[in-house]
Amino acid sequence: MKSLLKLFSSVKLAIVLLIIITSTSLIGTLIPQQRSPSEYAAQFGQLANLLNRFQITDLYHSLWFLALLFLFALNILICTLTRFPAKFRKAFQPKLIKDKKNILVLKIKDSLGKNWGLAKTKEELKRELSSRHYRLKEEVEENKAFLLARKRTLGLFGSDFVHLGLLIILAGGIISGFGGFRKNLTLSEGDTLDIPNAEFKLRLDKFETEYYPDGNVRDWKSTLTVIENEKPILSKIIEVNHPLSYRGFVFYQSSYGWDWTNTSVGIWVKKRKDPSFLRKIDITVGEKVSLEGENIQISFIQFIPDFILNEKNEAATRSLQPRNPAAFIEGWQEEEKIFSGWIFSQFPDFSRIHSEKETDLSFELKNFKASQYSGIEAAKDPGVNIIWLGCTLLMIGLACAFYWPSREIKIILEETQGKTGVIAGGIASKNREDFQSEFDKIMTSLRRLR
Amino acid sequence: MNESILFFTTFILYIISAFFYFSFLFSKKENLARIGFKFAFSGLLIHTVALIWRTVESGHAPFTNMYESLSFFAWSSILAYVIIEFKYKIRKAGPYFMLIVIALMALASSPLMPKEATPLVPALQSYWLWLHVSVTLLGEAFFAVAFITSIMYLVADSREKKGGAAKSKLSADKLDSISYRCIAIGFPLFTLGGLVFGMIWAYKAWGRYWSWDPKETWSLITLFVFALYLHTRVVMGWKGRRSAYVAIIGFLAALFTYFGVNYILSGLHSYA
Repeated sequence: MKSLLKLFSSVKLAIVLLIIITSTSLIGTLIPQQRSPSEYAAQFGQLANLLNRFQITDLYHSLWFLALLFLFALNILICTLTRFPAKFRKAFQPKLIKDKKNILVLKIKDSLGKNWGLAKTKEELKRELSSRHYRLKEEVEENKAFLLARKRTLGLFGSDFVHLGLLIILAGGIISGFGGFRKNLTLSEGDTLDIPNAEFKLRLDKFETEYYPDGNVRDWKSTLTVIENEKPILSKIIEVNHPLSYRGFVFYQSSYGWDWTNTSVGIWVKKRKDPSFLRKIDITVGEKVSLEGENIQISFIQFIPDFILNEKNEAATRSLQPRNPAAFIEGWQEEEKIFSGWIFSQFPDFSRIHSEKETDLSFELKNFKASQYSGIEAAKDPGVNIIWLGCTLLMIGLACAFYWPSREIKIILEETQGKTGVIAGGIASKNREDFQSEFDKIMTSLRRLR
Repeated sequence: MNESILFFTTFILYIISAFFYFSFLFSKKENLARIGFKFAFSGLLIHTVALIWRTVESGHAPFTNMYESLSFFAWSSILAYVIIEFKYKIRKAGPYFMLIVIALMALASSPLMPKEATPLVPALQSYWLWLHVSVTLLGEAFFAVAFITSIMYLVADSREKKGGAAKSKLSADKLDSISYRCIAIGFPLFTLGGLVFGMIWAYKAWGRYWSWDPKETWSLITLFVFALYLHTRVVMGWKGRRSAYVAIIGFLAALFTYFGVNYILSGLHSYA
């Protein structure tokens, strides 16, 4: 037990763990994470099984990676705790140095003599140190005086704040991981959805996409209303970077898309032999309309936003974006189907109409319209405030440690025959160069005093 | 007059600065280094105007594509160098440092980088863009200075070991402690900008503060390498060569986080 404690209080273990965590994290950026087994099989062949066995396919959530983080946290905790009491005593119950040797071993040191008595030398020195915001502690023995001047003592505890902050961040991460919840919701305008694990509903009142003049998307905006006990409680327009928070839930604008099942299209019907002939029809999927002045009905069967032919030579969609919109239409004369086929909005000359009976008609898909839905991510993350607390402590700690380093000057004054000798040495937790120049200035100004 | 003319003027000033710095390196005339510094500093001023110009013209932060962010990184690198030069007088690092800056400017002006300011995609429309990118890149700029002084340390150290005394005021020891100072300044900035601000923004935009996205993971790796540098140094008393190697690896990791991830690995940070 004792040796285990010793192991976990060593910085060497922390360094070994840091190296292991760093290199395993690196592996996770080289091997794609959380893909399907078939993708791994295609990319890595035989190795795929091995990757799967050691959970390298989901490395950051694997048990062994969590175990590494846990060991690291334990190491940080024990390292910090075992060093804390000594540091605390040093900060709040400092001992005055009474042996010259302990000052002479310091890197930053100086000594000088004055033709004054002990009392005067001490007062001048104290005044100089106080003007530089040093806090003083002193003790006098016969012809000797011992001074301890310190400032920015908080800087000593910087690393403790950093470590505490890290532990809190790790704890917050675990709470997020186990207590967190997220779900993608798709809402069309007017839809109301029950929020899972919550006592309220969410309604999408309005969804709009704003564009820049060049046609790129500027923003997606969803007007959401929270409904509790059938009563609307609050409304907010959410957009990317501006989510809605309510009762621990946060709702993000995460995606958008079209509901292609009820697409309406505009079709122009022409006759090859009669250039003056033009009929425009507007039709929604599933409808059948008569073509004015002709004994024919047009039926709109299916709409595909991004048309391709798959391996089986069937019509399919590559994506849900309207990259290659296509409509499947049929022409009927009473109960007889006379033609059917695909027309494309981007390739008006390339229609695949199969005619059962001779027809002179040609079709062009001119426009299409479908209702857009808003993709909203609902998230509940009980760890997030803990994370912010940890980050705050982490930054306070870093600022203390690096920008507010503690400084300490130890001085022994000794009077012999009316003259006083001063031996001073200093320690700074960081940034020794700046401290050295301050130390030199203090000693120089004492030297110059008459 | 427009932003590209200002950018080009800046580039020329940096090249002239490098020219004087290198003449100083070969002739050992301190005066030439002073002129080099003046050119670098006036480059920094014009560069600042160029960045402000770009911001006003495009209406958004001047680091939303690779051209802009490279130019901004060059700017923060010069800023970091000016600060460190002002405090610690590292003239001899000037020529090598200017080479890095010129490389960044050359990359930015290469035809591979689209220059035109495009309107922001929805995810980038946030004031966190300012905070996240600028603070991170400023932190990385200090790592860049540490990178140069660490390499110079390795060279100076092997020369001093062969018996040659420290040739100038910039001894191996001093280079070692300047590297440490730069990392001590850069580390809190990088943590704040890269990790903390990044997490806050990710939470606001994507709904999760951490997703193990390659860019996130690589910034964590960079942070860990520098944490390693600090702990081996402060607690275990590492100095000199070993520390210099860790600092060099750290900057390379930062560089990979910045460039490599975009071009080699794919993820959420696909815009810049």
